Amino acid sequence: MSFKDYDKHKFVVDTCNAFTQKRITKRDFLRKMALAGLGFSAFSSQMLGVGRPVGKMLGFGSGYAEAQTPPDVEKWLKEVGGKYKGTKIRYSTEATPPSIVANQLAKEEFTKLTGIEVEVEIVPLEQVLAKATQDVQGQLGTYDLYYLDQSWMATFAPDTVDPTQYYKDNAELAMPGFDWDDFSKPLVEGIAMYDGKMVGIPFDIPIFIMMYRQDLLDKHGIKVPETMDDYMNAVKAITEAEKGNGIYGTTVQAKSGHYSLECDWTAFLWGNGGSIFNKDKMFSGNDERGIAGLKYYQELVKNAPPAATTWTWDGEGQSVQQGQAALLLSWGEFFPGFDSDASKVKGLMQAAKPPKENPGRRAPSEAGFGEIPAIGHQGGSVIALSQYSKNKEAAWIFMQWACSKDVMARVSTLGGGASPMRLSSFSDPRVKEKAVVGPGTTRHFDVVNWTINNAMGSEPDMPIWAELSNNDIPIELGKLLTGEAYDGSAEACMNALAKTIDEKVAAAGLR
Amino acid sequence: MTQGTAVIATGRAGVTRMPRWLTSEHPFPWLAPLAAMLAVFGLYPLIYAFVLSFQQRNRIKRVDEFVGLKNWIQLVNDDRVWNALSVTLTYAFVAIVIELALGLLIALLLDQDRKGYGLMRALMTLPLVVPPAVTGMMFLLLEDGSFGWLSQNLYMTGLLSPEHPILATGSTALMGVLLADIWQWTPFMVLIMMAGLRSLPKEPYEAAAIDGANAFQTFRRLTLPMLSRVMAVAVLIRGVDLFRIFDYIYVMTSGGPGTATESLSAYAGRIFMTGNFPYAATLSLMTMIVVIIIANLFVRLFKVRF
Repeated sequence: MSFKDYDKHKFVVDTCNAFTQKRITKRDFLRKMALAGLGFSAFSSQMLGVGRPVGKMLGFGSGYAEAQTPPDVEKWLKEVGGKYKGTKIRYSTEATPPSIVANQLAKEEFTKLTGIEVEVEIVPLEQVLAKATQDVQGQLGTYDLYYLDQSWMATFAPDTVDPTQYYKDNAELAMPGFDWDDFSKPLVEGIAMYDGKMVGIPFDIPIFIMMYRQDLLDKHGIKVPETMDDYMNAVKAITEAEKGNGIYGTTVQAKSGHYSLECDWTAFLWGNGGSIFNKDKMFSGNDERGIAGLKYYQELVKNAPPAATTWTWDGEGQSVQQGQAALLLSWGEFFPGFDSDASKVKGLMQAAKPPKENPGRRAPSEAGFGEIPAIGHQGGSVIALSQYSKNKEAAWIFMQWACSKDVMARVSTLGGGASPMRLSSFSDPRVKEKAVVGPGTTRHFDVVNWTINNAMGSEPDMPIWAELSNNDIPIELGKLLTGEAYDGSAEACMNALAKTIDEKVAAAGLR
Repeated sequence: MTQGTAVIATGRAGVTRMPRWLTSEHPFPWLAPLAAMLAVFGLYPLIYAFVLSFQQRNRIKRVDEFVGLKNWIQLVNDDRVWNALSVTLTYAFVAIVIELALGLLIALLLDQDRKGYGLMRALMTLPLVVPPAVTGMMFLLLEDGSFGWLSQNLYMTGLLSPEHPILATGSTALMGVLLADIWQWTPFMVLIMMAGLRSLPKEPYEAAAIDGANAFQTFRRLTLPMLSRVMAVAVLIRGVDLFRIFDYIYVMTSGGPGTATESLSAYAGRIFMTGNFPYAATLSLMTMIVVIIIANLFVRLFKVRF
């Protein structure tokens, strides 16, 4: 053994002794181990003790919560971020895994290294919208950053700073190795761009994928659906065979008046070759393909647990966990929960590419307001820098850190299998290692990656979309699905919506 | 003595000079702080909402434009407003009747000084300390069509079919929301009724007992008339509160199915959250106007005095 190896081994042994005798903290221990060039598996990290509170809260292992900030980033945070010590930045966000994890890591790492305080308000999505709207209408600068859903890009584009431009213009604040090319192009196009401007940095990407019960498909000799017809046939066959056992072919998020219902509707509208708007910027949910899409969805609702018309995404995910449904086309974010210890279907669910659209996908050029029709409905969001912020520099430093390769990869593991935003996260060994059955699994990531790059559908970019998608559309759909109006007629419902929406679009001066 | 100060005798140090306004008997200095607070937190938002109701947000130009009575005309022609008003009135009426009846009944049962009744009275107040949103969530889970304890039991008794979940069926959804309200606010009525019962004079009851009146006659001829003013105040307070019902609806049904449980406040809240502040302000002002009219009618009709 060389002197160098001897020194290294002795250093490791001494550090371990110091840790076991509680002479150094866990953090110091990990730092020293990193210096010694040792990595830790999830298992060994667990052995070091219970993870961070967020890990427990989400029911996932602590794993890479203990990972270290890369040395160059740490240096940048100290040197560049340190100049803004004492500054407080604020933003409000929805309780998504990236938000929760970033919030937790911000307290434990970002603030310690920079001295910049981060105040995060975690509220329901509709309140995030209301708060951001108030802030921009009054140009208050109460929030330095905005968490913006993809459907709000047109609304908030003028109120945000283009991050790529800001990155170029403020080289002294630029994070080393930030790597803009690490975000996939369809992802950036689909969720972060409006009218040629990048509104914010992609922050999370819930996206519709197909998920199914392998055991039930095997039991009934059903192949994994590849087309929309396959999917419907499989759903119906399982409902017919298993309804007596309390298992339905599918499940939905069809709560009347809730945005979740609008998300479901768009996926099946696009999946049946339709679009929300046509190229003339007229509502086209009532054209032939639009009606076909809604009828398809009505049929799915009939093959879902009756209570599904009171469920948002929470109820939909729960129903699968409780073993009530065999197939679903919905948020990939559910998948890790299916593998959790509390789930009745742990290890039974599989992820697959969404079925191919029938008869084919409508081209974006045939749709209006930048809508991208494709079955993989995405509900991504960005984190954006406010034009009115009084602490732009500090907020920008936080924004880069929160969207950095290291933090994003950790968000996927610590956040219990939350879909990655960065291409590098998909191949990150820490992420790969979690691709096994178990809490916080990442074994559905290949399907997520494929869907992002090949079948990602995006809602229209228009200033009144938040109102249409959260109010008019889910309310009228809710009336139809619960029998409150339209007597089951998809045509009547879509025609009523067409009248309302076309009037609002015209009144807003968008056509 | 200098101008603007007053001399106050103190125990040991002789005299202390105080600013004159601190010893004034004029009401202004004493009302000023409260008036200022009312102006800032009550009057200003009201005026702001009023101004807002004559504006409209131009989402292209991103400015607020004066549009005169446009929002008010839209409100009159908006079918959802009339539906919401009807839902609100139905909700408030049913809730008040049930909560008042239950509140009075429970208060009569608990109005005793036997052992253990004190504890029971204290336990009655527990629902009041639960945040309404949490109560809404509790009942949402209880009434869930697939997993809810209440729904499962109703299915077993045959009173409800699994094909028609409580909160997804127009005819039952409002009652489903009302359950949460009744559970949470009946104790409030109990407390008020109990306070009223305890303040009633004993002499009329003694006279009734001598005259041989039975319990029902005593309740109908003495308790109810003497308690009527307390009941009227309780109904007024609760009624105003019920007109603003939002939390349970927001959490449990989002106003659905369709608009079957959409109250005025729930509608205004939805419009507010989608960023149309002027129309939301108009809806809120309309709610306020309706409350003022109904409350005044009630006060005159039942001769409520404070």
